[in-house]
Amino acid sequence: MNQMQNRSLSFLFQIGGLILAVLFVTIILVLVDAKPLDAFRLIWEGATGNSTRVASVFVVWVPLLLVTCGLLATFTAGLWNIGIEGQITVGAIFTTGVMRLFLGSSVSPVIVIILSMLAGMLGGAIWAALAGLLKTFGGVNEIFGGLGLNFIATALNIGLIFGAWSRPGIASMSGTEPFPEQFWLPTFQGFRISLWSIGFAIIGLVIIYFLLQGTHFGLRLKAVGKGIKSAFRMGIPTWQHMMLSFVICGLFAGLAGAIQVTGVYHRLIPSISSGYGFMGLMIAMLINFQAIWLAPIALFFAALNIGGIQLPIVMKLDSALTGVLQGSLVLFVLLMQGVKQRFAEKK
Amino acid sequence: MNKKFAWTVIALLMVMVLVLSACQPAATPAAPAEPAESEAPAEPEAPAEEFVFGMLLVGPYNDKGWSQAHYEAGEYVEEKVPGTKMIYLDRVNTADRPGTTAAQLAEELVQQGAKLVIFNSDDMKDDAVEFTKNNPEIFIIHASGDTIWAEGENYQALPNMANLMGEMEYGKMMAGCDSALHTQSGSIGYLGPLINEETRRLAASAFLGARYCWENYLDKDPADLRFRVTWIGFWFNIPGFTEDPTQVANEFINSGVDVIISGIDTTEGLVEARKATSEGKKVFAIPYDFVGACEEAPDVCIGVPYFNWGPSYVRYISNAIQGKWESTFEWMPPYWQDINNVDMTPVGYVSGPAMSEDAKPLLDKFIAELAGGLNLWSGPLNYQDGSKFLAEGEVATDVEIWYLSQLLEGMEGRSE
Amino acid sequence: MNIEFRNINKSFGPVRANIDLNFSIKSGTIYGILGENGAGKSTLMKILSGFYKPDSGQILLNGKPVIIESPADAIKYGIGMLHQDPLDFPPMRIIENFIVGQKGGLIPSYKETIHEFKELQTKFGFTLDPEAYVDTLTVGERQQLEILRLLWMGANALILDEPTTGISAQQKEKLFAALRILAEQGKTIIFVSHKLEDVEILCGKVAILRKGILVGELPAPYQTDKLVEMMFGKVITLGDRNNVSQSNIVFELKNIFVEQYPMRIENVNFRLQAGEVIGLAGMEGSGQDVLLRACVGLIRPISGSVIVIGKDLTGKNYHEFMKNGVSFLPASRLEEGLVPGLTLAEHFTIAGEETKGLFIDKEYFKQKAEKMIDEYHIIGHQSSTVESLSGGNQQRAALSLLRNSLSIILLEHPTRGLDIESAIYMWGKLKERCMLGTSIFFISGDLEEILQYSDRILVFFSGHVSPPLDAVTTSLDQLGQLIGGKGWDQVFDIQENYESNAKS
Repeated sequence: MNQMQNRSLSFLFQIGGLILAVLFVTIILVLVDAKPLDAFRLIWEGATGNSTRVASVFVVWVPLLLVTCGLLATFTAGLWNIGIEGQITVGAIFTTGVMRLFLGSSVSPVIVIILSMLAGMLGGAIWAALAGLLKTFGGVNEIFGGLGLNFIATALNIGLIFGAWSRPGIASMSGTEPFPEQFWLPTFQGFRISLWSIGFAIIGLVIIYFLLQGTHFGLRLKAVGKGIKSAFRMGIPTWQHMMLSFVICGLFAGLAGAIQVTGVYHRLIPSISSGYGFMGLMIAMLINFQAIWLAPIALFFAALNIGGIQLPIVMKLDSALTGVLQGSLVLFVLLMQGVKQRFAEKK
Repeated sequence: MNKKFAWTVIALLMVMVLVLSACQPAATPAAPAEPAESEAPAEPEAPAEEFVFGMLLVGPYNDKGWSQAHYEAGEYVEEKVPGTKMIYLDRVNTADRPGTTAAQLAEELVQQGAKLVIFNSDDMKDDAVEFTKNNPEIFIIHASGDTIWAEGENYQALPNMANLMGEMEYGKMMAGCDSALHTQSGSIGYLGPLINEETRRLAASAFLGARYCWENYLDKDPADLRFRVTWIGFWFNIPGFTEDPTQVANEFINSGVDVIISGIDTTEGLVEARKATSEGKKVFAIPYDFVGACEEAPDVCIGVPYFNWGPSYVRYISNAIQGKWESTFEWMPPYWQDINNVDMTPVGYVSGPAMSEDAKPLLDKFIAELAGGLNLWSGPLNYQDGSKFLAEGEVATDVEIWYLSQLLEGMEGRSE
Repeated sequence: MNIEFRNINKSFGPVRANIDLNFSIKSGTIYGILGENGAGKSTLMKILSGFYKPDSGQILLNGKPVIIESPADAIKYGIGMLHQDPLDFPPMRIIENFIVGQKGGLIPSYKETIHEFKELQTKFGFTLDPEAYVDTLTVGERQQLEILRLLWMGANALILDEPTTGISAQQKEKLFAALRILAEQGKTIIFVSHKLEDVEILCGKVAILRKGILVGELPAPYQTDKLVEMMFGKVITLGDRNNVSQSNIVFELKNIFVEQYPMRIENVNFRLQAGEVIGLAGMEGSGQDVLLRACVGLIRPISGSVIVIGKDLTGKNYHEFMKNGVSFLPASRLEEGLVPGLTLAEHFTIAGEETKGLFIDKEYFKQKAEKMIDEYHIIGHQSSTVESLSGGNQQRAALSLLRNSLSIILLEHPTRGLDIESAIYMWGKLKERCMLGTSIFFISGDLEEILQYSDRILVFFSGHVSPPLDAVTTSLDQLGQLIGGKGWDQVFDIQENYESNAKS
């Protein structure tokens, strides 16, 4: 009973956070002389108004979900994998690299797609493992190591786009030469979304859910995250577990990068990670690292992203506003958690 | 400890939100600029006779450069063609709008009622083509594209697309001439965007103009003229993704360049020239794209070659309304009777306030020569690597110029 | 100051910590409050010192009802509380710490304060150096400082919460002497403890609490049995040494040299026999913890070797030791022993020796946890997180997590902070294992515990390790002197005897 009470109290406070976030954005809207209700209606319609828009929401949802799945593994182990952006990028680079090898070859496109996506996962895992190695053997905090690796990944990506992999005679931000259509993840007729990528996302979610909730490995990871010294004393090889959580996260991030290449842009572009890594960090915090809430919240964030496009078109507002909404949502929900804690302590 | 951590996170987020909201004022001017817009948001069920056209701008609509030139052309259309209405989305590039594609954003414009969509960047080529194929009932103008140029290398028959481009080569030649007439050190810097055929030919045009005036009007040795090209990687600065044009401009100035010709869409070259001038050096700059670009720093601006998309957009949009749409590729030279006639010319060149009295008649003479048929794309000309481009007496074809594969001999900088 | 409690009630959620408490304390007495952990002693004292507000009831000081809003308020009324872990400002000098507590806005006179400080401490026979840094002090010295500071701030009543935990025998004597002087001066002393022997020798009267209720008040002299019965509701006899040592060597240290700055321990040679219990005595920070950690691979010895059942494990890590049947139970349970945020069932899942597949058999481990909770009398549920358990229950849980077949268990302060019942229980369980041949190595600050349960004792004094003493022939006094660094000459004699005995 008590636990249920506690839960519903928690829920109330979270709703409170949501309301505060909406209020905060409303105030900003009023300050820039826009009509808040119109803005929220536009975002809603922009995300759900027709099937194309819904499909676009899912295009964002898939990589966002995968990335956040990966982040749950590192968060469970108590790690702040800020290097996630770089891991997505390197995943995309590996995918592109392998696909380029098969340009003009007679290998079946299906095999090429599979190989290149596997390569993407490998790339993400390698980049994540680097952050892990820096942490466990170099004593570099994963936040700083991750930031550094993000910069290197971006530089590498741009170097390739402008250099070795540039279009003939062209060095442009628009990316590498698009891959021929047979190398694209097959999409629904007339939509940008691929059933395959939705499938990957759902499988990824299921895997991470059971891995963290139901396996010995997941429990040990949790123990490492909650008390690394105690976990070591209980016989858990702690650094190996941290490394593994990095690698798992990298696999997910790499897959997200691979889908960005094979399913969304069909080429490598400079901002291939689309900021999904950082957004994933926000989502992970918002759902308090519980996999069960991941799918709906990621969908909500994706919808905000897509719906937000309407703001500049129709109201001449900056679409960064949806970013403010996302950020303030996380902020206020965490704030309300803190308030709740105080409230509980007082009692 | 856990709690402390949570508070740290909150503090971090607070900062993030502040940063995000700091981005907000950038958009604020838009609201007062068009109060009518927010009063009545565009609805698909607008009056039947209203013709909505959409525009995807690669940079900010107020960049004092390429995108603003398009934006103002759109306003010009609204003014000249009754019953038209513009909707637009600016900063259409994957760095500014992560996770989106230009084709997807064009769909959104169509959702808002656009019957014709203008893609304003060569970088949107793949998306423009994809969108054109998927939306046969929508008219597409791809500015600076070459997809439907039958002689071109990327030809595809797309009946609902048109390609437009001003023959900016002339504007760049004038800019080159102007800079040669002003340089004291004999060293000119060209602030290049990304590298492709278009940017190569424009840089080469500036070089040809500079060399011509240096040699023929000032009677100096072409060997004494330094013409350096540095590419930043995109049409404007995207921190973390491109080189910083401010830095590039400073490097130019520090290495003796005293006239900076901008090939990018924004005005860093101008700003840095003014800074250097206020510090005692004498540095001039020539911005690009937009007729009002000199305003940023009039005291160092000696001129600006600009696009004037208005008349051609009026032409195409009127045709579309009247059912006379033609899928054509147009590469439009200046209106030679008056290259600054707003209602006629696609490309123009205005002198800046900093233009010297001595140079003015010489530049006018050069423009008159060009109007009279002077063709600088004639032999003998060599590529940058010394290989032969045009033999003595040979004149380059449009295709050779459009798809210029290398910089020219005498220019410094990367060719690809 | 006379203190009177009237109908004090205090609940924390469903837990009633104090129930209708009524009693009074006369000035000039040392009044004991006795009870096991969780009996409500600390809650009551925190109410008196302004940390908590009672749900209902009144406190009367010298007959006048008062409302104590905060600790600062309490000191205004002349009530000072000495916490289990004295609150002070470690990076400061003693005298600075002292001045901080001073009332009044005048610029403190440094010299004068030092003078007064010295005068004050000589009254109680304390010998603190006013220029010393607080973080160099032992727990006992900090306590002395805290007492002086509270008196200096005008305390008329002193509350001492478990003050004899973690201090040496001499410090305890000094403390008691000081408390007696204070009582003679008319101050009121409230002495909160679960240690019968302390209460017996010090307090003129004692109130016994159990589960939030005042069981009764007794004047000195006391009958121990009666006190124990009132505390626990039943009579418990202390466990005894059972001399189960067998003669095969399970563990050996050879010429061990370990260093953990600034502690340096050299040339330790020692053999542990199966089923033997070895107590490591010494003031805190004398090197016991360093040596213990070197024994399990948590600190790498600079030279020498560590041999477990004939296997040289020198330089191997802790997990290698675990594989060879060595287990270590550290003092800081929630930092090094248990994982806060995980439930008991999850702990058993991780620690269990069962062969594990990919997925957790949650039902099995739930049942196992329930079984162990039952067997070890842990008050908690399989779904309780460990941090929600009381200290004693955490220790029981830590003990219950140890694998069955261990050859050596190393413990740091196994009963610190536990009530007598839990402590006895703990040792009962450990002794059961000794019967099965497990050897035990333990550190304790409680010399009686060491004498009571050890077969042999190693004494530590600032990095020096004595040769093993036979616990049976060692007296409390002797041990107390040794840990204070006195009488080591005799120990060297003993060592010679020991060696000649070994030879013969």
